[in-house]
Amino acid sequence: MSASDWLERRVLVTVGTGGVGKTTVSAAIALEAARRGKRALVLTIDPAQRLADALGLPHLGHDAQEIPADRLRTAGTAPGGSLAAMMLDTKRTFDELVARYAPDEAAIERIHANPIYQNLTDALAGSREYSAMERLHQLAAAGDYDLIVLDTPPAAHALDFLEAPRRLTGFLDSQILKLLFAPARALGRTGFRLFQFGSSAVLPLVERITGMEFLHVVSEFLLAFESMLEGFTTRAREIEALLRSPECGFVLVAGPDPVQARRAQEFWARLETESIHLAGLVANRVRVWPDGGPPPPLDEATRAAGTASLAKALSEHDPDLDSAGVARAVAEAALRFAAAARRDESVVGGLVASLPLDTSDARVIPLFAEDVHALDALSRMGKHVFDE
Amino acid sequence: MASELTNLLERRLLIVTGKGGVGKTSVATALARLAAGRGLDTVIVEVTDPPAVPALLGAGAVETQREPRELAPHLFWLRIDPLDALSEYLELQLPVAGVVRRVVRNSGFRRLLEAAPGWRELITLGKLWYLESRVDAERPRWDLLIVDAPATGHGLSFLSVPTVVTDTVHLGPLRRHTEWVQQLLRDPARTLVLPVTLPEELPVKETLELRERVRGLGLRVGPLIANGVEPAPGIDEPERVLEALAALPDDAAAPLPPVRELREVLDHSVRRAALQRHFLAQLREDHGEPAFELPLLPEGGDTERLAEALERALEGPP
Repeated sequence: MSASDWLERRVLVTVGTGGVGKTTVSAAIALEAARRGKRALVLTIDPAQRLADALGLPHLGHDAQEIPADRLRTAGTAPGGSLAAMMLDTKRTFDELVARYAPDEAAIERIHANPIYQNLTDALAGSREYSAMERLHQLAAAGDYDLIVLDTPPAAHALDFLEAPRRLTGFLDSQILKLLFAPARALGRTGFRLFQFGSSAVLPLVERITGMEFLHVVSEFLLAFESMLEGFTTRAREIEALLRSPECGFVLVAGPDPVQARRAQEFWARLETESIHLAGLVANRVRVWPDGGPPPPLDEATRAAGTASLAKALSEHDPDLDSAGVARAVAEAALRFAAAARRDESVVGGLVASLPLDTSDARVIPLFAEDVHALDALSRMGKHVFDE
Repeated sequence: MASELTNLLERRLLIVTGKGGVGKTSVATALARLAAGRGLDTVIVEVTDPPAVPALLGAGAVETQREPRELAPHLFWLRIDPLDALSEYLELQLPVAGVVRRVVRNSGFRRLLEAAPGWRELITLGKLWYLESRVDAERPRWDLLIVDAPATGHGLSFLSVPTVVTDTVHLGPLRRHTEWVQQLLRDPARTLVLPVTLPEELPVKETLELRERVRGLGLRVGPLIANGVEPAPGIDEPERVLEALAALPDDAAAPLPPVRELREVLDHSVRRAALQRHFLAQLREDHGEPAFELPLLPEGGDTERLAEALERALEGPP
């Protein structure tokens, strides 16, 4: 196996904790696929204006936008290759779902008017995750792309987004709503029996705290979703099947910080229980000694001797230079960087060893000295991932 | 004039927030160390699982419980588990033995909670309010609560849920209790939001957006903290030095590594530092209020050294 095999899948899902550069890595992977002649799409979650700039798009939106062909050609794209990008719009994705699955116009209006639905993006746990999956499913089913790279929302828990469909539909599917609402609905009083399940009459207790009004809003919200139960349930099963199929691979993105590496391990430990295919690891922003060689072990004696010889050489070359001060600063920077590179190497090495991966599927992108804000920088990142 | 540190430690609730990966947990823990070191009974509160703070304080695995637990002198730790906090709240509201347990254990109620929006954030804030209001011998039981808030996206829903509730619910205990929480959050004498960022483009941009949205919710934003600032090599004219190095033979710095490699490392360090200075300047300019710098430490998670750096930063000029 090698990283190039990742691109043979139809879907790559990049996962990892926040702040490790998932969005940029996702775009770099999609760009590399385009360079190899594939029709690629990157679906990002963050409002990533910088990514839009890098791709030469005015902004990213809910609909896929093609990166101009002339820009792609300058990045060395093979014939037939194309790259599109889009940004997840949770609210619009849900609006579309509601429009598709709601039984009638009245149901659509009812749910749109509900205050909980209006605050959906912020309030409903897992709504971003759910809509990311939904959008992925739509795009995969449409078949317009050879490869879709999904940049998942940063999550504290690896399973947040995997569980989101199950959470939503698990509740809707539990028959509880039917039990709860059927009698009330028959009476035209939605929600009044909401919590009255089993033998315990919970409602009066909960109502004492929340007030009837709130219960009403909640039950209306749930009731509206209940009418869409079948559509949601079917869709959630299809999404789960897609994510577990061999066509879909997960790429774990991690930083070289020990805390980030530990989180990446925890992430994978949880994903592993979900029969997910791990395609590979990208360790991003790793401090690598020049030429990729092992960072030299630099001790005080080496520093002192080296600083002296460097100072001498510098003063001979440029007598006006504060050669002693410069030599000290150069040696200091080298020692600091070597220590950092050694640390990163050991953290990344430990992470790779803990994952069920061929070493050829564990790729390192060095920490760049400039921000990645142009296509050529993205393609440089891609080379680190995919060049043998 | 009182130092920024004194100013912070006079509050009751500090909400440390920011984009993922900026070192929020470490900064919150360092701040808690400083407060406790000054004799304040400080609680560092975690809301995510698995907890990270006990390890940063050098404590082993610590079980979650309802009461803050003392891990170092004056330094208490609490992880708020939403379901447990909900049980606690319901028990306080409905002091009928057994009823709450029956409700909470009911599998239908559990499934409802799994899908239901917002309650985790609300009950977590409620618990913070509860801790803040505890009194012992006529003075507050806890001098300072420091919350390691969820990463930005979630962090904001964490703070905006009370508004959703007060917009939706107009009567009853839930409304009343949410108003209490809201009063605590919006009282700048008691509560400050502290955004932590990195001196890089995306984190800076996101921090400035976060600040606007937090202000929009009626909360006061305190000083910004820029973490992970890399030291600049102490060289006045880097271009000239790089040129000189390029002209030297490769073994001129022996036994140090080849000059070509030293030059590349120096070039990298100079450019990284310049990039960071650029975004720090942007942060200060846009923020118009203090932004404090914390150095990139060789060992991430060394909260003792981070606390020292934080103290120096907050006691000195911004």
